[in-house]
Amino acid sequence: MRSSMNNKIVGLIFLLSLVLLGADGGDQARDERDVLQEQREVLRQRIEKLTEEQDFLLFQKEMYAADSKYLVLTIAGKTGRLMYRNRALKDFRFRTSKNYPATTFGPGRLLLTKKADEKRERRALIFGNALVIKWKRTKVPPQEADIPVISVTKKEMRSLFYAVEEGAQAYLVR
Amino acid sequence: MRIISRREFHEFSRMMKNLNKKGSGLAWLVAVIILLTSYSSARADDAAASLPIEELRAEVHALRQEVSRIEEENRGLRRMLKEMEDDAVYVVVDTESNRLLLRQGNDVLHAAKCGTGSRSAIEEETGRGWHFETPLGSFTVLGKERNPVWIRPDWSYVEENMPIPAGNDPDRLVRGVLGKYALLLGNGYKIHGTKWTNLLGTRFTHGCVSLGDDDLELVYKSVRIGTKVYLY
Repeated sequence: MRSSMNNKIVGLIFLLSLVLLGADGGDQARDERDVLQEQREVLRQRIEKLTEEQDFLLFQKEMYAADSKYLVLTIAGKTGRLMYRNRALKDFRFRTSKNYPATTFGPGRLLLTKKADEKRERRALIFGNALVIKWKRTKVPPQEADIPVISVTKKEMRSLFYAVEEGAQAYLVR
Repeated sequence: MRIISRREFHEFSRMMKNLNKKGSGLAWLVAVIILLTSYSSARADDAAASLPIEELRAEVHALRQEVSRIEEENRGLRRMLKEMEDDAVYVVVDTESNRLLLRQGNDVLHAAKCGTGSRSAIEEETGRGWHFETPLGSFTVLGKERNPVWIRPDWSYVEENMPIPAGNDPDRLVRGVLGKYALLLGNGYKIHGTKWTNLLGTRFTHGCVSLGDDDLELVYKSVRIGTKVYLY
């Protein structure tokens, strides 16, 4: 009998505690905080995306005036385009490797730092430490072995190799 | 995030043990109160540790403005790029794969095998030489000719070990060898027809770009004076 009474009292106090805890408006403030934090995160991501987009737009604007051919590489579609003053000269497809899947590559500008052609079949376009474009059977020079690689067909490699000069630019698009 | 302190945890454990031993309702009560109090206090601690809500509101507001600003800038850039675009047809020649493309915007209107400069050289006895290479770069169609007449240049005579005639010698005028049409690119370079159609797709010309009859007709009719030609 006494135990049952105690249990009822415990129950009542427990309920009362819950009501009192809720009555301080903490949940409401917390809800707003959660919403704001979520919005902040969404907005930050949006800014990042818009900034990326703007960088590519500025690149295109710059290329209108530049007297140099350049490459635009779309990572998601694994397609590339040789361009001159925003006009497409050549479309091509490329492959990524197991070691360097598409997720390896981030968007942005690249600079062609070296055209490697020690042997005819070993031609490669080297964009600093960011990217090597090569024919799939070409072995990358040992000093460039750690650079992410994409490969194109032999015919396309030949066309691209002579189409661009050292100092030419490329842009990686997601 | 701190949910419960060590001290509170020990206190809670002790109470639970007590509860198990005696089955006391009072012990339950204290245990629940401790739990709720610590949870409430942990939430208060979290809130205190993070940004005040007013500052958070201000930050979100500033980020919204930043988004609007960049969106507006990007709209402006896209507009500018659109205005710079033209819808004109242009010609692209890949001298490595010997392919000619007729393009418009992102579309390839026509693709054809073509011939480009053989990259060979000849030299006459006097030491004068010629290198048969297609020039690379950006060109413009400067003129369009129907039934073009080939004015044989000096190298043509040197190549065939023939004496070079005077500049105005009528022997230099040859009809029919350039096909039905020619597009003039300047400095004597042209896009024209050829009788060596079996060699299309290779480098065999003296520097001009040659096409088969049907392809030539289509390209000729698609371009106008001023059309851009990109040779690479």
